Parts: sequence; structure tokens; C-alpha cells
Amino acid sequence: METNIWRKRVNGAVRAISRQLCMLVVAIVIIMVFLAVSGYSPFTVLKGLGRAFSQDLSGTIRWSTPMILAGIAICIPFKAQVFNLGVDGQIYLGAIAATWVALALPENSPPAALILVFLAAAIAGAVFALIPAVLNVYCSTDIIVTTLLLNFVGQFLTEFMASEVMRDPEKLTQVNASKTLPQNLWLPKLSAFGNSSANVGIYIAVAVALLAAFLFFKTTHGYEIKVVGSNANFARYGGIRSSRVILKVMALSGAVSGIIGAIEVTATQHRLIASFNPGIGFDGIVVSLLANNNPLGVLISGFFFGGLSNGGNVMERVTDVPHIVTQIVMAIIILTISANITLKHLKRKKEAGSK
Amino acid sequence: MAFAIELLNITKGFPGVIANNDVSVHIKEGEIHGLLGENGAGKSTIMNILYGMSKPDEGKICLFGQAVEFQSPMDAIRQGIGMVHQHFMLMPDETVLRNIILGWTPKKGICIDEKRAVAEINDIMEQYGLKVNLKAKINQISVGEKQRVEIIKALYRKVKILILDEPTAVLTPAETDSLLDIMRRLKEQGCTLIFITHKLREVMDVTDNVTVMRKGVVTGFGPTSEMDITKLSRLIVGKEVSTKIPMEKFHPGDKKVLEMKHVSTARRPGRMPLKDVSLVINEGEIVGVAGVDGNGQTDLGEVIAGLIPAESGAVFLDEKDVTRDSIRKRRKKGLSHVPEDRLKTGAARDCTISENLMLNMYNEKPYSNKSVMNQKEVLQTSEELCEKYLVKTPDSNYTIGTLSGGNMQKVVVAREFSSSPRLLIAAQPTRGVDIGATQYIRTKIAELRDSGKGILLISAELEEVMAMSDKIVVIYEGEIVAQFKRGEADEYEIGEYMLGSKRQEVLYGN
Ligand SMILES: Nc1ncnc2c1ncn2[C@@H]1O[C@H](COP(=O)(O)OP(=O)(O)OP(=O)(O)O)[C@@H](O)[C@H]1O
Ligand SMILES: [Mg+2]
Repeated sequence: METNIWRKRVNGAVRAISRQLCMLVVAIVIIMVFLAVSGYSPFTVLKGLGRAFSQDLSGTIRWSTPMILAGIAICIPFKAQVFNLGVDGQIYLGAIAATWVALALPENSPPAALILVFLAAAIAGAVFALIPAVLNVYCSTDIIVTTLLLNFVGQFLTEFMASEVMRDPEKLTQVNASKTLPQNLWLPKLSAFGNSSANVGIYIAVAVALLAAFLFFKTTHGYEIKVVGSNANFARYGGIRSSRVILKVMALSGAVSGIIGAIEVTATQHRLIASFNPGIGFDGIVVSLLANNNPLGVLISGFFFGGLSNGGNVMERVTDVPHIVTQIVMAIIILTISANITLKHLKRKKEAGSK
Repeated sequence: MAFAIELLNITKGFPGVIANNDVSVHIKEGEIHGLLGENGAGKSTIMNILYGMSKPDEGKICLFGQAVEFQSPMDAIRQGIGMVHQHFMLMPDETVLRNIILGWTPKKGICIDEKRAVAEINDIMEQYGLKVNLKAKINQISVGEKQRVEIIKALYRKVKILILDEPTAVLTPAETDSLLDIMRRLKEQGCTLIFITHKLREVMDVTDNVTVMRKGVVTGFGPTSEMDITKLSRLIVGKEVSTKIPMEKFHPGDKKVLEMKHVSTARRPGRMPLKDVSLVINEGEIVGVAGVDGNGQTDLGEVIAGLIPAESGAVFLDEKDVTRDSIRKRRKKGLSHVPEDRLKTGAARDCTISENLMLNMYNEKPYSNKSVMNQKEVLQTSEELCEKYLVKTPDSNYTIGTLSGGNMQKVVVAREFSSSPRLLIAAQPTRGVDIGATQYIRTKIAELRDSGKGILLISAELEEVMAMSDKIVVIYEGEIVAQFKRGEADEYEIGEYMLGSKRQEVLYGN
């Protein structure tokens, strides 16, 4: 029986992935037409993507890290039918906390102090995510709206911090940024890739995904989350307090988002910059949906999305395609793939209706 | 005579089961055709195929001699087919009116012509004696009313063929009678009806022909006049079924398992609140609640279970005050509850059977230890429960949504009966369950009583209440208006109290 479920799960995953690959081909064809019509070489997209998964694998790994984590941050509350659209804001809060702690620590603290930095980021993210959760539980405000709006708060708070409170007074550049963190608090790079942008953040991402999978499939918390998500009346009738589950998933989601912020600061930027986050939280939604909200699937789809966004960057670097066009290309890919998800959902609804 | 519907050699499989295996059903024009069979026999499946909701793997459908192929229910509706589903298909947040006219809307320009729709629907309601409040939201009305909405919806679309999938499961005897009348009227008007039910008396009453299915194949068919109840039950189950419930002589313990003191509940839209209800259930006693649906039964069950608060009064479990206790605390103190609406509260459709079975024990040893679930124990117990309670499924890892209606009910019953309760609230425990399993569930209830538990049995079927209960209370407009010991009153007398035309001045026992 045990093997039976696993076979079912694996089969499902394989089918889902092969369908996604088909959609990717469709997306690429659309993009090639788009590029040709706009007067660029239609093959730049292939070149970009090809390099993202070969020579420039390190860049893909660098981008996979936040994608995987954002996917996890979305899928934990999603399982309970709670929609956290505020991952971006929580990432900012995590970054602020991480920078603050890292700069406050004594100059030559050992790298183990990074644990403190990450802890602070996770707590900051969790607390920030708990604001909409508490509002939802005690005042029944719509969590989608509040999380969405708090993104702006997170973003402007970061700007304020970077330009006023934590701004490095010794640097007279135009950039709004804090002091650079001491080198010993930088998250190490992956040695296998030499001096590249790939860092050990990826290990953290994988570990978090595995932990989330354990939480979902093996613990009573996961059980409660699933039950609340599939029928809140049923959960209540069984004595499960939905409000507690909502607080729990939002706190976890915020903590994971906070960790993204910490990784961005300690591994890549090495300081707090006003708008370092290119909307990772929203990519996380697609990553999570693509994986059917399964944390193990998020590992794959997150990696895939990391490749896509890196591919866009590469395309920009190696060809004459301007930045805005790459963004359009990314949007086409996301739209095509999410169209597929929507179709799948509609079909499932129709089938469910037929019972 | 021409056949209105011919279902020819239909085969339909789902992962792990063949729901229909080479099934052929012939239905004459203008008849009421009974479709019978155990839970999971494949009745709903073949009707969904006829209604265009799913496609057969093999076989074909002929309507009035012509082969048809439906891509969706819209095609079937256009051919004049209507269906009242076992699990209603209504939009919970919309009004009754909107639900009825959905997909069949009279228009004035580009606007919905609500006036005309209301007039037409009022006509239908008057003509057939069906009453519902068109302005109420679906999630505020009772199951019986939802049933009426579904029927009105079909009539409003002027159907020629009407499929009724277990419509009487949720109805009281009086409502059932009026539904059977409506069916006869429709038949007179030339409508062809297909009627699925587990209640053989209804079959004998209205149908002209019957088809019996078991395990996905047809096991018998023929005119109803050549059948009788024993013959039918043998065709359905494959062997004789006794309807006797083995029960020991009534000797209740002296501990009160449940005591309600002057409990009232708040008024909610679409609900009858309780007014000053007092009730005692002793150890080893079954107390049955008789009443017309919608007279406060729902609030009675839910206030004891803790799903809604008591506005005034107090509830005692095992002589301890639990009025302020949470649902979980009450459950820990030995309360079990089979809710009346299995889809809304009794089960989570997207969870597996085993997850549904674990609701009361997932955080206890051996199923979990310090929050970590023990999958092996969970699966083993789930399989055992499925086997014991006759749930028909390949294994307990399938989602509960894939089960037939009756089997879903058995899962709910299995979960609530197996947690060794002190008090069991059983609201419509045998709703939609076939004759064999009904017998089994009643036997189980009797066993629980004989082992000293207290049972509150709420049922729309007066017959069930009368057969099972040691004490019967009659509920009318949220109040308990009469109380009898077993055998003290007959159906007719109880019926009078149920309709509110009589009430006992002094209730003894309180
Ligand atoms: N969507 C589905 N996926 C998998 N199995 C299904 C699905 N729908 C039905 N089945 C299976 O098909 C069989 C027949 O189900 P069906 O609902 O037709 O039974 P039924 O005769 O209507 O029973 P009941 O009297 O309990 O309503 C059952 O074993 C059920 O588990
Ligand atoms: Mg059925």
C-alpha cells in the first residue's frame, strides 16, 4: 500500500512535469515569434536559456535559492487555503533585521554568528506576517488585501532604513545603502563554482523544502493544515481551531520569507539596498502552483524558475536585447505556464462537479 | 411501447474499480422506473453518464430510439433531461432564485427578467405544493429545502425526463409522500422518471418497472407488480436480510450521561432556534428525537456538540458542566457526533478516507507521537475500520470524494462509533445507506447502548426513531412538546405532536 501511494505520487509528478515541458515549448515558440516581429533575432531566447542551464549554472543556482524558498513560503499557507501575497514585504523585513543584527554584532564575530542573523530575519518575517493573520483571525479582514498592502509598507520601510537610518555615512555615492557587512558574516560561496554568485543559500533552501515536506506529510500540524484547507467546517467539528492554524502557517510562511531576505543580504548584496527584491514573492506563487503546492515539487519548479530568470539575465548580457524586452519574455513564459495551471484547475473543478 | 431511454452495454471504470460493467437499462416512455442497488453498486455513476456529466468508456445511449452522445450536461438539458443529484449542486452563496434560474434565465434586453422568473417559479410552487423562500441564500436553508430547490429547478426547465438520485434520503415521511405525489403527477403529464432509492416501500408504491444493480452489473429487472419486498431485497443484497435489531431489555444505569437544563440558542438565518429545552439521557439509553425537519433538530445536535453556543441554560456531560467547553474538550470527555450533513461538516472531500477517519485520534498515541504521525498505524487502523464498517473501496488512500454517497456516510459512522464514546449524537445516521448497512449501523447503535453508552438519535424517519428509542421526545418549533417511553404512543399520536396540534402540559422526567 505504501509503495502504491508512492507510485501514484511519482506518476502524477512525472505527468505534471511533462505537461509543463510542453507548455514551455509553446511559450518559447510564442517568444520567438514575438522577438522576430520586434526585430530581434528569435534565437536569443534559446541562447539565453541554453547558457542558463550549462555554462552559467551558477547563476541559475543563485536564483533558484530565493525561488524555492518563495515557493515554500507560498505553499505552506496555501495548503490551509490562506493566501499570503505579502511574501515580498516579509522578505524586506527579514533583510532589514538581518542587516541590523549583522552590523550590530562585534566586528570579528565567528561565522557561526550567522545563525543569529538568520534567526533575527526569520523572526522579523514571521512577526510581519502575523500582523495580517491576527487581523484576519480577530477582525476578519481579508488576508489577501492586507498582505498585499503590507508589501508597500515593507518596501518603503526598507527604503527609509537604507536611505536614512542605516545609510553608510562614509560613502558619498548616490546609492541608498547601508554599510557593507563584515566579510566574516558573508554567506560562503559554493566552492565548486569558483568565484561565482552560487552560494550555500541553496543548501538552506533545500533543507527548508525538506522540512516543509516533513511538516506536511508526517506531522499532526500538516494534517491539521490539510484538513482546515479542504473543509474548515469539518475541521471545526473535529475540534481543530482554524484560527490557530492560520496563525501558525502565516508565521511559518513569514519566517521562510525572512530567510530569503537574510540570504539576499548576506550572500549577494552584503548590505541593505533600497530595492533589491525584483518581486520574488510573486514568482513564488507560480512556483508553488506549478508544483501543485507540494514542497518536494517546489524544489523542481523553483530550480526551473531560477533557470528562467537567470536565462533572462543571460540573454540581456550576451545579446543586444534591452532589459524591458527580457521582462516581456519572462512575462510570456509565466503567463503561458499559469494559463496551463488555470486550465488544469478548471478541468479538475469540472470533474469534481461530476460526482 | 417505445423506449424513452436505452442505456446499452455501458461500461465505466475508475482507478481501482469498475463502477459499471456492461450495464443495460431500458426505460419506457411515461413510466416511473426504479433503480435499486447497494451502496457503490454504480447507480449514480450510470445516471451521471445519462446526464452527460461523465463519459462512458464503452456503450451507447439512445433517447427515443436515437443514438445520442452528450459532451456536457448542457447537451442533456437541451434534450429535456433533468437531474436531482444525490449531493446537491447548488451555489451556496447565491439566493434560491438565482440557483433555480441559472443557465435558463429569462431575459429582458441584456438584463435578467427576475419578475417573470419569480412569477413562473411561484406558479410551479403552487401547482406542486412545493414551498421555499426564493430570497434565502442556499447556505441558510435545510437539506430538505435544498432538495425542493433542486426539484423546482428541474421543473422550471420543463423536463421530459427527470432523474431523481436518492431524493427521499433527506426527507421526512410526509415530505416523501408529497414528493411521490409530485412524481405521479409528472408521470400523468407524460414525463419519464428515474427514481433511485434504498427504501423499498417507496419503490413498491410508485414505480412501474425496476432495475436492480449489484457491484456494477444488473442483477435483475422487471415490472414492479411482479416484485415484493423480500424478492427485491434478495435481488439487492444477494441474500435474505432480517430487519430485527438484537437489543437487550432496557435497564438504564443511574448516571446521567447527558443533561440539558433550559437550553436556548440564538436565532440564525434559516434555522429554528431552541427554546428552553431540558433533556436527560442515562447510561444505556437511546433517546430518539421525532419531529418535522427544521424544527430545531440541527441546533439541538450542534449545541450539545459545542458547534454553536447556548444562549442560556447549561449542558452537562457525565454530570459535569461543559457549557463553556470547546469542541475538542467535549470530544475528549467522550462525545461523538454523526452530523446531519455529511458533506458540509462530516467529511473533507479532498482528504483521503484514512485522513477522514483520523479526525478524532490523529493527535493520540499510537497514531502520532509528539506531533509525528505514525503512518503505519494510521493505515492499519483505517483499513480495519473500512473493513468492519463495510466501506467499499480498494484502499483507504483514495480521496473520500471518490466514494459513493452511502459509503461516505459509512466512513463518518465508522469514525464516530469507533472512538468509544460516552455520549453519541447520531443525526440521520442511516441517511443514504443501503438496507444491509442500515441494519448494521442500527445493530451497532444497539450494541453501544447495551454497553452502557448514552445515545441521542435524531432522525427524519419516524419508523427508525420508534424502533430504536427507549424514550422518544417530540420537538416542535424548537421546543420539546412531548415525551414517551417505548411503546407508549403510536405513530399517529406522535404525528399529532410533531405537527404542533397537541402538546403535553407537564413533561415528566425533568
Ligand atoms: N470519481 C470517482 N473516482 C473513483 N471512483 C469512483 C468515482 N465515482 C464513483 N466511484 C466508485 O464507483 C462505484 C460506484 O459508485 P456510485 O456512486 O455509482 O454508487 P451508487 O450506486 O450511487 O451508491 P450509493 O447508493 O451509495 O449512492 C463506487 O465503488 C465508487 O467508489
Ligand atoms: Mg449514489
